Amino acid sequence: MAWHDEDSWLTAAFAPKLSTIAITLLLVMLLPIALHQFIYRVQTPTALPTFLLIGPSGSGKTAFLTLAERRAAAQTHTSTAPLSIEALLPDGYVPNSAHYRSPGDPAYERARRLLLLDTPGHGKLRHFATAQLVNPTHVRGIIFVVDAASVADEAGLDETAEYLHDMLLALQKRYTGAKTSKGPKEIPVLIAANKLDLFTALPPHLVKISLEKAISEVRKSRAKGVKDSGVAMGGEEDAVDEENEWLGEGGEGAFEFRQMEEVGTSVAVQGGNVLGGEGSDVKSWWEWVAEQL
Amino acid sequence: MLDTFEILTTSGVVLWSRTYVPVGANIINSLIRDVFIEERIIPQQEDAGYHPTYRKEGYTLKWTQAKDLGLIFVAVYQSLVHLTWIDKLLDNVRALFTGLYGEQLNSNRSNSSTLDTQKFNPYFDRQIQDLEGTSDESLNVKLTPPSSSGNDSAEESAPTLPVLQKPQRPLYDTSADSTPVPTPDTSRPTTPAPSHLLTGKAKPGAKLSRRDRKKAAGFGSAPASSGDEASVKRKGKSSTKKNRTWGEFGAEEEDPSVVLDYSQADLKGDAPEAEALEEIKQETWGRKTGKGQFVLKDLDEEMDAIIAEQNAKKESSAPSSGLVGSSLGAIGGLFRNVVGGKTLTKEDLAKSLRGMEDHLLKKNVAREAAVRLCESVERDLTGLKTSSFTTVESTIRTSMEKALTKILTPTSSLDLLREIQTVNASGRPYVLSIVGVNGVGKSTNLSKIAFFLLQNHHRVLIAAADTFRSGAVEQLGVHVRNLKELSHREGGEVDIFQKGYGKDAANIAADAVQYAAKNNFNVVLIDTAGRRHNDQRLMSSLEKFAKLAKPDKILMVGEALVGTDSVAQARNFNASFGPGRGLDGFVISKCDTVGDMVGTLVSMVHATGIPVVFLGTGQHYADLRGLNVGTVTRLLMS
Ligand SMILES: Nc1nc2c(ncn2[C@@H]2O[C@H](COP(=O)(O)OP(=O)(O)OP(=O)(O)O)[C@@H](O)[C@H]2O)c(=O)[nH]1
Ligand SMILES: [Mg+2]
Repeated sequence: MAWHDEDSWLTAAFAPKLSTIAITLLLVMLLPIALHQFIYRVQTPTALPTFLLIGPSGSGKTAFLTLAERRAAAQTHTSTAPLSIEALLPDGYVPNSAHYRSPGDPAYERARRLLLLDTPGHGKLRHFATAQLVNPTHVRGIIFVVDAASVADEAGLDETAEYLHDMLLALQKRYTGAKTSKGPKEIPVLIAANKLDLFTALPPHLVKISLEKAISEVRKSRAKGVKDSGVAMGGEEDAVDEENEWLGEGGEGAFEFRQMEEVGTSVAVQGGNVLGGEGSDVKSWWEWVAEQL
Repeated sequence: MLDTFEILTTSGVVLWSRTYVPVGANIINSLIRDVFIEERIIPQQEDAGYHPTYRKEGYTLKWTQAKDLGLIFVAVYQSLVHLTWIDKLLDNVRALFTGLYGEQLNSNRSNSSTLDTQKFNPYFDRQIQDLEGTSDESLNVKLTPPSSSGNDSAEESAPTLPVLQKPQRPLYDTSADSTPVPTPDTSRPTTPAPSHLLTGKAKPGAKLSRRDRKKAAGFGSAPASSGDEASVKRKGKSSTKKNRTWGEFGAEEEDPSVVLDYSQADLKGDAPEAEALEEIKQETWGRKTGKGQFVLKDLDEEMDAIIAEQNAKKESSAPSSGLVGSSLGAIGGLFRNVVGGKTLTKEDLAKSLRGMEDHLLKKNVAREAAVRLCESVERDLTGLKTSSFTTVESTIRTSMEKALTKILTPTSSLDLLREIQTVNASGRPYVLSIVGVNGVGKSTNLSKIAFFLLQNHHRVLIAAADTFRSGAVEQLGVHVRNLKELSHREGGEVDIFQKGYGKDAANIAADAVQYAAKNNFNVVLIDTAGRRHNDQRLMSSLEKFAKLAKPDKILMVGEALVGTDSVAQARNFNASFGPGRGLDGFVISKCDTVGDMVGTLVSMVHATGIPVVFLGTGQHYADLRGLNVGTVTRLLMS
């Protein structure tokens, strides 16, 4: 039976038969549904945008994470392990990518989903955070939580500035060390000045200024400090290039967060409080997050 | 009495907590910091149902963990009270909680930190009642089951158990002296503070309490029967709980009805509120009233079942007996060992850990430190499930890498230059002194540090406080001459302060600091005489040295070559400066000569918890390095 025969399947397919019509109809209706199912199954679970929570111990990272998840901060203690949770951008904030969609649109709802990854802030446990910085595949932004009350005194400020310096330096190295000419995806940083409910807390603009000042100091003394033992001890060959260890612009001037923009990192400082007598106030943080989504 | 009980995750979220008396968050935080992170306090092994304790600011903390779920259970109570049932409580609560929520925690572990634990309240309350009940009953002359959770909530306006508060009719007031100091007699598990009880009593109704007090007086002060908890425990819950009474000598009388009736009649005749009280009592404890009884019995049985199940699970995870069983188990174990998904027990880990220990010993890690690291890994891993397609060995490897990173990483940053800046800002020179045994390279490393400081344009005074070994002062003089030449170009300034031999080193050091302050030096480096760490006489002079010279930083130089001795060296030096003063860091010299056998670093840090600040890596003044934790860890694991 050749294809041009009277009753070959090809002829039947073009004949005005009832069965042909039925099959075609079914196909037309089911195919888009199947396609939709397939595409969304594949895509959704893995690719949620991630926001890293970094900062010294006791700054309120875990508290913020629980606030984001349950709309009320839970009781927390010093973390010893990282934790990632899925959160939803609260109502009233519009994800940047979904500006032209209306609430209720599934794509809009999807754009509101995000992952928050909390890391321990204790000095001995920062490798969890630094490991994330080496390969930030899904990281859409970094929230560096600062205890605005503790940066009011020298010790707290120094610790925070050192951690922040190291983190920004890691981001900078990632940017300058990239092989492609385009440079890697930009990772914005939010410095979340937390605990503004405390009366000892510095206001956000002062947090910014004092951190910039302290980072200038850290940068200077890092450059002068003894070299790392990595090379001398027969470790890897990635010889520490002096140039690469200098955060921000060259030159002896003061460090400003603005300088980070050249290496693909915009830094914003926003105040808020996760806890407090009059409830939490983290609006400006969510606005920042919405902007990155 | 229990102040607080918390169930939290390793990621720091409190899943469930019960607060009788608020305890600052810093108490549990410092437990986590000191014990889990910094491992400054090594808990004694959990054996025979006794859980490790940790003390802080007048509180005693006992804890246990459910490793595979990442849970920590912590009980906090005042160190003054002596609670014997906390261990049991921790065990039971862990069993209950993992039984009730284990699956949920496992399944929603990804991307969620929430867990609805409302339901857990009654379970916990029952546990408290049971345990506290058993221990209390063993010494109280009480008609109603005691519940000091009720006591507590009444006393501290944390009314978690408003119902239970009412049947409280404490009888302690006869002995109304105020100190809650527990008797050393271990047979008296709980000694609630009488004053607490007095305040607590005021609530249910003054009349009742007064009457109660009288009755209590009638009974006389309770003869503390030897409260063997275990024997009274849970046995005959339904009958003994409520209706138990006590004979003359505090012995338990079996007939339940008699005394109950007595008390009931007594109460009913008294006041209407007593009636209400009786009703509540019935509902809470009643085995007679329909509804309440049913619920409670249900809870009890369920609780027992869960605990039994959890215990059974634990036992079954231990190697099974029998010929067939064991060989099959062995094969399965081997398989799972390769594929993963095996719950690790101490036995599984033992062999590989011994291998790991040998490996570390080969890297020149002192045995003591190696053992501690392996124990830390063991603590980390026992009870954990290996993830899929990972062998026990590689799991241990990863965990050991983590342990090494943790032990070597300093808690706070070590930036000498900034410290100098801060001290100088307060208008005095920064004083750094170096100690160590003979011949480890104290003077050499001191000169290296001086060179580093000169490069940063500091004005450095080097004090020759080694007045003991002949030639020491001259040797230092040579270094200073060299440094002077070198620093000409760099822009710093250096000089030596020396008073010859035989003088007291502490005085010379103090003089040097004064001289420096007068002559505008901003850093003083003090070289000291080398001494054997087990030389009592010389070591004891260090205390005076620390007092007079008041160094901002005391660094100890240790040789990378030294083996097992490193632990004792570090310890003795750390302890030699008198109370309140210890070493601030180590300089490990001659690191270039040992290749990958850098175990000394670990040994010294292990012995003292003090970080390595500098590494000496060669013969030149510039051969001074900071510690790179990653590299050292890699060298040790290679
Ligand atoms: N007053 C006040 N306290 C806060 C605020 N946010 C957090 N805290 C408290 O700060 C403490 C530390 O918060 P955590 O979230 O546990 O700190 P963390 O950043 O996760 O710390 P690590 O896990 O150790 O890195 C908790 O006791 C919080 O209750 C705030 O906005 N105001
Ligand atoms: Mg945390």
